[in-house]
Amino acid sequence: MRAWLAAAVVFVVSDGALAQDCARQAFAPCQACHALATDAGQRPGPQLVGVIGRPVAGDPAFDYSPALRAARDNGDVWTRDKLDAFLSDPEAMYPGQWMGSPPIRDAAVRTALLCVLGGGS
Amino acid sequence: MQRRQLIALSAGALAMPALVTAPARAAVETREQHGYRIRTFGVRAGSGSRDVACNSDGTVWFCGQRDGTLNLLDPRDGGLKVISLGTNAAPHGVVVGPDGAAWVTEGGQNAIARVDHRDHRVQLWKLPADKPSSNLNTLVFDTSGILWFTGQGGVIGRFEPASERMQVWDAPRGYGPYGITRTPQGTIWYVSLAGNYLAQIDLASGTPRVVEPPTPQQGARRVWSDSQGRLWISEWNSGHVSRHDPKDGSWKTWKLPGERPRCYSVYVDDRDAIWLTDFAANAIVRFDPPTETFLSFPSDKPGANVRQMAGRPGEAWGGESGTNRIVVIDKPLA
Repeated sequence: MRAWLAAAVVFVVSDGALAQDCARQAFAPCQACHALATDAGQRPGPQLVGVIGRPVAGDPAFDYSPALRAARDNGDVWTRDKLDAFLSDPEAMYPGQWMGSPPIRDAAVRTALLCVLGGGS
Repeated sequence: MQRRQLIALSAGALAMPALVTAPARAAVETREQHGYRIRTFGVRAGSGSRDVACNSDGTVWFCGQRDGTLNLLDPRDGGLKVISLGTNAAPHGVVVGPDGAAWVTEGGQNAIARVDHRDHRVQLWKLPADKPSSNLNTLVFDTSGILWFTGQGGVIGRFEPASERMQVWDAPRGYGPYGITRTPQGTIWYVSLAGNYLAQIDLASGTPRVVEPPTPQQGARRVWSDSQGRLWISEWNSGHVSRHDPKDGSWKTWKLPGERPRCYSVYVDDRDAIWLTDFAANAIVRFDPPTETFLSFPSDKPGANVRQMAGRPGEAWGGESGTNRIVVIDKPLA
């Protein structure tokens, strides 16, 4: 496992609030296609701001694959668990979807990535 | 800088070199469209069959990105050999080297891999430790036998097999380096998907010279040279195919058919016909430059997602990553 994931997600209690300190590097491989900002301009893939809790195929500026559009029409929503399962093998969940990334088999890597996607700092 | 790592194979493993399954056979289906014969080979569920490379003996390598394998298909009988590239492997691109071996951008292990075509022994050369997440993409040999490669994480690099020396450089504009090609003149060019540019690499220094395509934010994804050294570029964001002629600096661009095409890959065959893939149309699309016309070959299955094509005279090959099939379109029957 990569060193930067040794402490993938650190939870810090401060003033009674629970803040998340994420391993931001987990998002690095995604940045070739995705942005975590709504004003990042056109990218090869959809922007991922607030993706957890968002309907599947939920970026209105992106023309998704028929596989993901069908999932959206079916009412699918990116819960944390669903996104975790998707990242572990995207083709298994939605065959024919366009994203070309291979499965992320390491649960710690997915946890770190979900931390970033969930809006952790 | 040079790193060399042989996958640790025990003597027992070497006795059956890296085969992860018993030799299998791919189911073959044949259909005809526009006078062309189309054959599909159902290779293996879960393999994520994608980039292909053709051997001179008629066999075809393809990457199983989803299950970490390199596979060898014999289209004459559907024979299939499956070679594991190691734990966490996720191969993206494959080419046949001047030594006859398959060379692979093995993104899962951040390494260049070589698979011997005779005994299927796997060798890995990892990228330098300061390039830990290069997201290796595509590769090509230059005329002197040096391997050039791209990484979507924002790198380009070279590997010299004879000395095992590897050099990796940060690419202009960071993320995005994707397809790479060699022209008949021996020059090496690549495109950047996120960086939206075409670039020629100086073979002595590794320095890229960026050339701006005419369409802003076009998403240049793959590139292939024709017989004259003109660069053909598939544009993911714009849905265009573009042609750049380095001799005079000119550009010409065509939009693929359909309301919102998504042009993923480009391959130029031995007759200078342009083979494209369009995800929105779920199709392989042949473009004829003299007549400027497109001919579409939709897959007979949804979500085919052919991410790369290659070939040999009379045969255009691709991997349907979404259906776990390899497809070949033969030259017209008539």
